[in-house]
Amino acid sequence: MSTFLTFLKIEGKLVWKGIDILIFGICFPIILATLFGYLLSKDGLAGASNFELSYAAVITIGVLATGVMGVPLTIADYRHRGILKRFQVTPVSPLQILFAQGLIQLSSALVSFIGVTIVYHLLFDYELKGSWGIFLLTYTFVIIAMYSIGILIGSLVPDQKSANVWSSIAYFTMLLFSGATIPYEVMPRFFQWVMDILPLSHGIHLLKQASTGEPLTDGLFHIVILALCIIIGLCGAIKFFKWK
Amino acid sequence: MILTVKKLSVTYGAKEAVDNISFSIKPGEVIGLLGANGAGKSSTIAAVLGIEKSNYEELTMLGKSPIRHRKEVFQEVGVQFQETNFQEGLSVREACEQWESLYKQTADVPLLLQTFGLVGKETQLVKSLSGGERQRLAVLLALISNPKLVFLDELTTGLDTKARRLLWKQLLIMKEKGLAIVLTSHYMDEVEALCDKILILKEGKTIFHGTIQEVIHVSKKATLENAYLYFAGEEDWV
Repeated sequence: MSTFLTFLKIEGKLVWKGIDILIFGICFPIILATLFGYLLSKDGLAGASNFELSYAAVITIGVLATGVMGVPLTIADYRHRGILKRFQVTPVSPLQILFAQGLIQLSSALVSFIGVTIVYHLLFDYELKGSWGIFLLTYTFVIIAMYSIGILIGSLVPDQKSANVWSSIAYFTMLLFSGATIPYEVMPRFFQWVMDILPLSHGIHLLKQASTGEPLTDGLFHIVILALCIIIGLCGAIKFFKWK
Repeated sequence: MILTVKKLSVTYGAKEAVDNISFSIKPGEVIGLLGANGAGKSSTIAAVLGIEKSNYEELTMLGKSPIRHRKEVFQEVGVQFQETNFQEGLSVREACEQWESLYKQTADVPLLLQTFGLVGKETQLVKSLSGGERQRLAVLLALISNPKLVFLDELTTGLDTKARRLLWKQLLIMKEKGLAIVLTSHYMDEVEALCDKILILKEGKTIFHGTIQEVIHVSKKATLENAYLYFAGEEDWV
């Protein structure tokens, strides 16, 4: 079997044996989805549109937890324990290790996406207004951007402590201030400016436009920001990858 | 030459951890790096492997640079580090499978497991193995690619007498077939059993470089152990 497939199989089994991915990658987003759905769909004041918009936000929570937390923490742990050092003296490429870890974490993000979608659909009668094709394409784009940030953090951090610090900063600021949990629309103007800096805010804007069927043409700026995340993240990760 | 190291130095801040070391080995040859703890053995190995930054005049393995041609060189070079950590929850079989997948050609793994006394342990978690078993697994993984050159950093530390003898026997068979070995050891019986040449280090510098007969002859001592202590400057302690 090829190196990459073997990595996927073995590392996947190891990651899925851990409880973190289940709690943060799957359970947390689905519980939040249920809560949001309950609060927003029943609250007349919030209006139906807020509920509809929240779907685009809640499906990014699992992506955030796995991409920005799971990926860098696993890589930093392997570096800390000298496992990457052992891989350094083999023919394996860092890209194979990074992409395998990325794909494994992604598998749980996808389970959470399906879970959230089922909750919204079955419990609260959510209907996507836009085209599913365009929406999924946008979602894929946002996922790649978030994972690029996570892979960059994982490649750069010297030890586990700074992996914890940097991935927590990235995770919590984006969880709270990019509209993933607290909607952008209800934030005061000042906070909205701050939120405009965070890449995920742009991702959620795009997803909201795609989910409500608005044309993405006025989202060009958001697309550019996310594309920059991907380019800087992946190029930086390849250039500065540290084995130990 | 399968490995050539010329004027290799490693500096940590102001400290010269490895100072101007040179050595080379041919196929089927075994060189032992000896010295007290902190003498620079592991730093030398790390620098030769390209893990540690170093200055050198020449550093080639199988005719290539291990730094610039990392992927090609390590197809045919195996490494066992002094301390081997494994992923949490990894089983013996998975460790072998993962390492096998890294190389174009691999040795007969069931045979290796038998040689290293790990048959029947395949489904066990690596962390549940005894210290000696984990050490043998680390050596096994270093040999899984049928390498032409292997680095063994303290290969039998933590092994019982029988396991050490077994490992020596296996390495000597592979040496006969042309395997070149760079090893570090604190056990002089091991050095006598395996090494053609030795390099004694003290504070990063080469104190002696030659064969076992030579070291005994030059030091005018009766045994290798005494000759080593004479050169390593630990004699006063005995």
